[in-house]
Order: sequence, then C-alpha cells, then structure tokens
Amino acid sequence: MMLVFITRAFATEDIYQFKKQTDANRFQQLTTEVRCLVCQNQNIADSGAPLANDLRQKIHDMILANQTDNQIKQYLVSRYGEYILLKPTLHPATAVLWVFPVLGLFILLFLLRRQIVQSPLNKEKS
Amino acid sequence: MRSKLTLKHCIPIIFLLILLSLLGWELFFAQPRDLPSALIGDDVPNFALPTIHAPDKLMTPNDFKGHVILLNVWATWCSACQMELPMLMKIKSQYHVSIYGIDYKDQPADAVKWLKENGNPYVMVGSDSSGNAAIDLGVYGTPETFVISPYGKIIYRHIGVIDENTWKETIYPMVKKYEK
Repeated sequence: MMLVFITRAFATEDIYQFKKQTDANRFQQLTTEVRCLVCQNQNIADSGAPLANDLRQKIHDMILANQTDNQIKQYLVSRYGEYILLKPTLHPATAVLWVFPVLGLFILLFLLRRQIVQSPLNKEKS
Repeated sequence: MRSKLTLKHCIPIIFLLILLSLLGWELFFAQPRDLPSALIGDDVPNFALPTIHAPDKLMTPNDFKGHVILLNVWATWCSACQMELPMLMKIKSQYHVSIYGIDYKDQPADAVKWLKENGNPYVMVGSDSSGNAAIDLGVYGTPETFVISPYGKIIYRHIGVIDENTWKETIYPMVKKYEK
C-alpha cells in the first residue's frame, strides 16, 4: 500500500514538468490552495480524484501559458465559485469570515477587562 | 435590580441558542452537495467539440441559439448516466425539448455504440475527451445538466441524475418560461 503512494508521488513530479524552478514552485503552491471539489476537504495536490487531476493539468497549462497566479485563481473562481479556494479571498461576501474572529477576540477581551475591574477583589484593593 | 440581572444572564443563553440553531441547521438542512453554478447568468463558455458521429463537424454554443435547450454532460462509463437516459428520452419525446450532449472523457466510438444500444436523446453530441470544455463549464462530474436560454445564457445547472421530480418541479417550469 505504502509503495503505491510512493510511486504516485514520484509520478506526479514527473507528469508536470516545468522549465523554470519558479514555475514549478508556483504550481506546488497553487495546487495546495485549490480545493478538490469532489472530496471536499482536500487540496488538489493531495488528491487522486480524476477531476483533481484535470484541474492540476489545467493549472499546469495556464502556468506554461504565462498566466499569473491571480489570473489562474480568477479563472477557477469564475467557473466553480469562491468555494474552490481553500482560503477564501477577502470581499464583501466573505468579510464576516475574516472580521468575526478578530472582532470576537476584542469583545471577549473587553468583557474580561470589565469583569476584572468590577470584581469584588479589585474593589477591595482600591 | 433583580430584573436587570436576569436580562444580563439571558444574553449568553440567547447567544448559545443562536449558535445551536445555526449548527442544527447546518447538520439537518444544509446541502453541501447543492452547489449553484458560478456561471449562472453568464454566456456559455466558448468551446468547439468534434461531434461523435462526424468528427469533422464541430459542436459550438452557436448551435444552441434560438431556443431553450438542455446541455447534458455524460459518459458511457458513468452508470448514473444510464439511469438518467430513460428520463432524457421522455423529455425528448413528450416535452420536445432539445438536448445536446457533451461526452466527457470518453471514446467517441464507445459513445456512438452506447447510444445505438440504449437510445439517443441528443440532437448532437460533442466529444470532450480531454475534459477541458467541462472545466470551462465548471463541471464536477457526470451526469450534469445545464439549462441554456435562447440567448445562450446559462440559467440553471443540475448536478446528478434528472428524475421525474426534478424535471417536473424545477427544470421544466424554467424551460417553459422561455418556450413560446
């Protein structure tokens, strides 16, 4: 079983060849950022699903065609929706995802501070 | 004083209830497989696919213009497509809606044989052996069906088999709006 995985890992390296190392690095990076749509919580670099294969091929071809990372992501998002990116970009529809954790932390700190200030222990001291 | 305290104590409970109902909704009612196409309202992406019956003739989105059609992505290796076929035949014979096919990652010769044996609901079938046109359409798998307006815009996308219910309740009402 292990052997199968090892051979596959090497095969992936062989199939997608790039002339420039920077392109190969971009390919590595992009394929970890794109969701395998048919396996939901996996990126396409790790997935053996046929659709993930096709998407890897597409990204490979687009890199060779000198498309920028943004153009490639834009292409995928316009076809499959924001969902295809494992890390959603910041825009009005996804703002709450990015803002809420920070906001939540501030509210929590504020409440905590108020608790501490109002606690009987502190009142005794002052 | 007392009433103030109870209100304050209620806030975390209300918050918890909101969170729980959100989680409950996600658990019981959300449909993670229900993925609306990002292309709805857009033009059909341009493609030119050799037709399975005559490879020198190409199928392009221009072939669809003028009336509302279904664009069905299928393959001979897809068993769900075989399940869907009787419904497509019925749509063709009883409802007279044109269905165009994209034969996804398949051998054209196999597709011709398959349609001969099982029946052919399609006006025209283009062969997408590389799967490139399917990626352009944002296809997840087979079968998948797009409803395309007479002006060449994508109105709706259905993932999976079209059954009697989805046809009568969702797709046909949409088709009827454009069919006059």
